[in-house]
Amino acid sequence: MIQKKICMLGASAVGKTSLVSRFVRSIFSEKYHTTVGVKVDKKVVALGEDQMDLLLWDLYGEDEFQKMRTSYLRGSSGYMLVVDGTRHETLEKAVVLQNRTEETLAKVPFVLVLNKIDLVDKWEVDDSAIEELGKRGWTAFRTSAKTGEGVEQAFLALARKMAGVTA
Amino acid sequence: MIEGPPLLRRAEIPARDAEADSVAESGPGDASGSPEDSSLAPGDPLKELRRLLFVPEEAQVSKIQERLDDPEIHAEDVSGVLPDAIRLGAARDDRLAQALQPTVEDAILTSVRRDPQVLVDALFPVMGPAIRKAISSALASMLESFNETLERSFSAQGVRWRLEAWRTGKPLAEVILVRTLLYRVEQVFLIHRKTGLLLQHVSAIPRHDGDADMIAGMLTAIRDFVHDSFGGKEADSLDTFQVGELSVWVEAGPLAVIAAVIRGNAPKDLRGVFTDAIEKIHREQAVALDAFEGDAAPFERSRPHLEACLKGERRKKADRTAEGRTGRAIRFLRIAAAVLLVAIAAWGVASYRRNRRWNSYLGRLASEPGIVVTTSGRRGGKYFVNGLRDPLAADPVAMLAASRFSAQKVSSDWRSYQALAPEIIAKRARTVLDAPPSITLAVRDGVLVAAGSAAGLWITEARSRARAIAGITRYDDSGVSDSDLARLEALKRRIEERVLLFPRGSSELPPAESAKLRETTNDVGEVARLAPGLPGPVRIEVIGRGDSIGTEEANLGLSRRRAERIAEVLRAAGGGAVTLASDGVGSARPLRPEVTEEDRDWNRSVSFHLVAGTENRAGSPRR
Repeated sequence: MIQKKICMLGASAVGKTSLVSRFVRSIFSEKYHTTVGVKVDKKVVALGEDQMDLLLWDLYGEDEFQKMRTSYLRGSSGYMLVVDGTRHETLEKAVVLQNRTEETLAKVPFVLVLNKIDLVDKWEVDDSAIEELGKRGWTAFRTSAKTGEGVEQAFLALARKMAGVTA
Repeated sequence: MIEGPPLLRRAEIPARDAEADSVAESGPGDASGSPEDSSLAPGDPLKELRRLLFVPEEAQVSKIQERLDDPEIHAEDVSGVLPDAIRLGAARDDRLAQALQPTVEDAILTSVRRDPQVLVDALFPVMGPAIRKAISSALASMLESFNETLERSFSAQGVRWRLEAWRTGKPLAEVILVRTLLYRVEQVFLIHRKTGLLLQHVSAIPRHDGDADMIAGMLTAIRDFVHDSFGGKEADSLDTFQVGELSVWVEAGPLAVIAAVIRGNAPKDLRGVFTDAIEKIHREQAVALDAFEGDAAPFERSRPHLEACLKGERRKKADRTAEGRTGRAIRFLRIAAAVLLVAIAAWGVASYRRNRRWNSYLGRLASEPGIVVTTSGRRGGKYFVNGLRDPLAADPVAMLAASRFSAQKVSSDWRSYQALAPEIIAKRARTVLDAPPSITLAVRDGVLVAAGSAAGLWITEARSRARAIAGITRYDDSGVSDSDLARLEALKRRIEERVLLFPRGSSELPPAESAKLRETTNDVGEVARLAPGLPGPVRIEVIGRGDSIGTEEANLGLSRRRAERIAEVLRAAGGGAVTLASDGVGSARPLRPEVTEEDRDWNRSVSFHLVAGTENRAGSPRR
């Protein structure tokens, strides 16, 4: 059994916590976000016959009032960049966060998660931007924390990437 | 193989050393002995001398040399002296042990690697008892804890613990353990410092295992948070945090962190245990820690070090002796209180029953005619009852005994009065009237009703006396029959049935008839005794007769004489209370018509007629 620390990164209200709360095991209350700035949860992913425990450090969303604590990133084997597909600026924010994270963590696997796919009418992020990021080696997943669409795949992909790195 | 004792041989060698050395100086080849002897030039006199002088020694020296050079023989020699050498060395100091330690350790390690079974077999006889001892001591401490539980189970503290267990949903045993512990290290986390991932986790309590990895992550996050927020230098970090009875002690090494969850107040030097553990883990697994990529399996090895951190200390005996002393005092007080409680309860029951008896006594007094209770109660630990009592009523003091009260324990004050209760009036009437047992008296609606039979005299007197009895409006003796009259009636019948027979021509009563006369005399005597109680005077007529043979005149005279003679006898018996009149009727009123001689016999006789007067007596006529 392998454990990995991964961070959930993204702008405020992109649905990181929703992704986490519905699909992971959680013992700490939401209060930790606003007090400590992070909440640690667990996601068990099956990799063939093996199992990987992802310790999710759900960092409090970055906004004008609260800067991300980079010390929380330390030791992460990967991270998930969460974007709200109905708000284009969150993608920009994700790019900024990715840069900052890379500075702190060096190159570790990550996946881009375009959340709220269920709100297709309000979708703002255009495919060309994603394609552009794909060319830079980014892997993107369209997810819905509401319906559960794509969530498992995103976690699995990240786990695979990390397993590939360690293998 | 080796001749003689080795020590002796060893001693021999230095004795010859000097000679051997001096021989060696002459050249390496010389020492080899006889094969070279022939190479010596026979012409060299010095050599020759030497040869002559030293040949035996040279042979010996060469033997010794041989022995020193041959490792097999050498080993043989050393093996001879080794045990003693080790014994001497071990007795002197511990340098030998120090020197041997790594070798021994390596040897054991090698042995275990090659085949653990060998050591297992060897240790088995040792381990068995050791394990048994450990188990028995564990059981003993468990028993102690049980005893404690029992000891406290009914105390106030026991109740408090039970309440706490119920409130918190923890097992009682855990509550007791926690309350009797000074401290206990409940969980120890070994956390990878960089990633915050859990490397190993040990727990003294069976729960909380499942989410240890998340807790480890959060602990790291919190430490990071505190460090980022308040810590200045890199070395400054959160080492302790306290949550109620729990505290978390963090001991950080460069690569890993030990976080220990402690319940209670642990001594400061406990940190030394954690420091020791983290140091050992770093020493042993520095490479694995550095290369950690998420696989915690290698850190299973660190488990013993972490388990060594699961320390705990129960309240010391010393603490408890002080507590024990107060405990004993408290126990004594508790016993005293219990005794007191039992005494109070017993007293309560006794007093309740006594009160019930008292109330039933008062109830019986109240229902007793002729007794009126005016005040009653308890004064100075003694019951008292005051009231009025008719002298004819039941004795209240005697009634105490029936209610199982001692007369001494109850003070009574009874004033006499005349009760008008029907029962008491009846009693009083009996006394006043001096009623015979054959008479019953009852009071109904103010009427004194008498029933039964009594002498006429009593009946007469009772009528006048009854008027004097208080509470009586009327006296009714219609149910009383006069026993005197009844008796008189019976006597009259008996007397009148009798006929005294006389022989022809004689007024002398024959001896055969004297028994009848005697009986009659007795009856007349009884009539005379009854006479004063009868309503009127009693008169007995004695009638003389004669048969029809002879002259009427003679018969008349004879009959008168006969009557007079008997009347005379009876007059004496009547004593003046009964009037006895005699008369002769001759043959005029025969008892039987004279047909046979027997009829004539019957007519020569005296018969009686008793007349009881009624007119000359006062009072109402009787039925």
